[in-house]
Amino acid sequence: MRCQRLVAGLLPAVLLFLAGCGTAFPADPEGTLERVQGGTLRVGASINGEWVEFSSPSGGDLRDGDVQGRDADLVRGFAEQLGADIEWVAGTEQVLAEEIKHGDLDLVVGGLDDKTPWVTHAGLTRPYAESEDQRGKLHKHVMLVPLGENAFLLELDRYLMAAKESR
Amino acid sequence: MTDVKSNGGVRFGHTELPAAQQDALRKATKIEWATMGFLVVTTTLVFLVLGNSQAMKAAWIEDLLSFLPPISFLVAARMIRKLPSENHPYGYHRSTGVAHLVAAVALTVMGAYLLVESGLGLLKAEHPTIGGIELFGNTIWLGWLMMAVMLLTAVPPVVLGRMKMKLAEQLHDKVLYADADMNKADWMTAVAAIAGVAGIGMGLWWADYAAALIISTSILRDGIRNTRGAVSALMDKRAMTYDDTEPHPLGRKIDEYLRGLDWTRDARSRIRDEGHVFHVESFVVPAENSMPTLAQLEEAREACVAMDWKVQDMVIIPVAELPSEFLPGATSGGEH
Repeated sequence: MRCQRLVAGLLPAVLLFLAGCGTAFPADPEGTLERVQGGTLRVGASINGEWVEFSSPSGGDLRDGDVQGRDADLVRGFAEQLGADIEWVAGTEQVLAEEIKHGDLDLVVGGLDDKTPWVTHAGLTRPYAESEDQRGKLHKHVMLVPLGENAFLLELDRYLMAAKESR
Repeated sequence: MTDVKSNGGVRFGHTELPAAQQDALRKATKIEWATMGFLVVTTTLVFLVLGNSQAMKAAWIEDLLSFLPPISFLVAARMIRKLPSENHPYGYHRSTGVAHLVAAVALTVMGAYLLVESGLGLLKAEHPTIGGIELFGNTIWLGWLMMAVMLLTAVPPVVLGRMKMKLAEQLHDKVLYADADMNKADWMTAVAAIAGVAGIGMGLWWADYAAALIISTSILRDGIRNTRGAVSALMDKRAMTYDDTEPHPLGRKIDEYLRGLDWTRDARSRIRDEGHVFHVESFVVPAENSMPTLAQLEEAREACVAMDWKVQDMVIIPVAELPSEFLPGATSGGEH
């Protein structure tokens, strides 16, 4: 059984490596968390009711003060925790999903829920809020993060869970 | 084809399993139910922490597929209780072979599917995303839970597999053997999945696909090997030992006994494995000018039937010359 030996050899190797590095676990393949800490957080925002509103809905480059709403407040809190400046980008969900897929954004918000079709383009946070629409359907709200940037995602999940509890 | 006629009190073979095998069958049935109970727990646990890991998904699907052999075994164990009937003169033991084939094809298809899916994921470089989960008020990385669950599921199948392996030999049951063999290798799946998730944690996104590829390859290999075994058994391959490694020694034993009788010059047998039990057709060439009496034939058959409980159905056909087209090869089995 060639396979068996390979797998049996793999486990000690993995454990040794884990014990050796011990620094960041999970780690980001593209280093998103390290880059945004004390740097710039690139956030895509899509207009959606109470979640994301623009005071000057012109699209394109936005100043920080132009974006309001529940999601915007959460993003500001998170950026503050990371010591990061926010670079807002306005766009439709589709445009923003393409951007984050290609690594041009770090976060996308806009009152998205966990049934979002953009799971092929981005990873989802844990649901941090719930709302009910006119048809009585429950929505669990999430944000989009770059695929596989697990340290960044875990940091954001922790922040969102803490924010949910303090509310 | 031979014709099995009901003939008063004369036994043409064992239609029921002997006490030791009945006992083994009962034990095996219990262990298979225990396996199913264990699988219900593990598939639920793994499903709860599944997340976005391809390796975890592969391991979960393998767990789901692990239901098939126990189900096949339990269904077959019911079917074989039926005695041969007018419409099924050869009895119902073949149901074991049918169950084996169904389970094997399912393994093959799922193994191939997972292999392609994991390979595509690797090519497309889709980075697996695993975030946090709330546990007792803390947000921890879901990957830790995945690894913990896989560690829990690693050991029990190995123990169950070892127990089943012994019973498979006693019962000459190939479904049970295949199941035991898969269970024994199940810890590899768990370890591979753990390595895959640990890889994601270290930022090595491809480790997950590598682990998934290993797991799906092992599923596919199990599937192909079992399909091959099941198909050739259904196509009346000569009877082999329970692990398919060599021809069953019973063929040689029967031929040697028949050749040793003073009224025979030569003897060769064809043996089919019906699942648990064998159907034996023995061609004997009587010595010069000594056509055997009915009593001699009866005696020879009784002796062969008494050799092994697996001889369920035994016919002796006196012939002038061995039919070489039915008996290719120079030996009668067991010598290779």
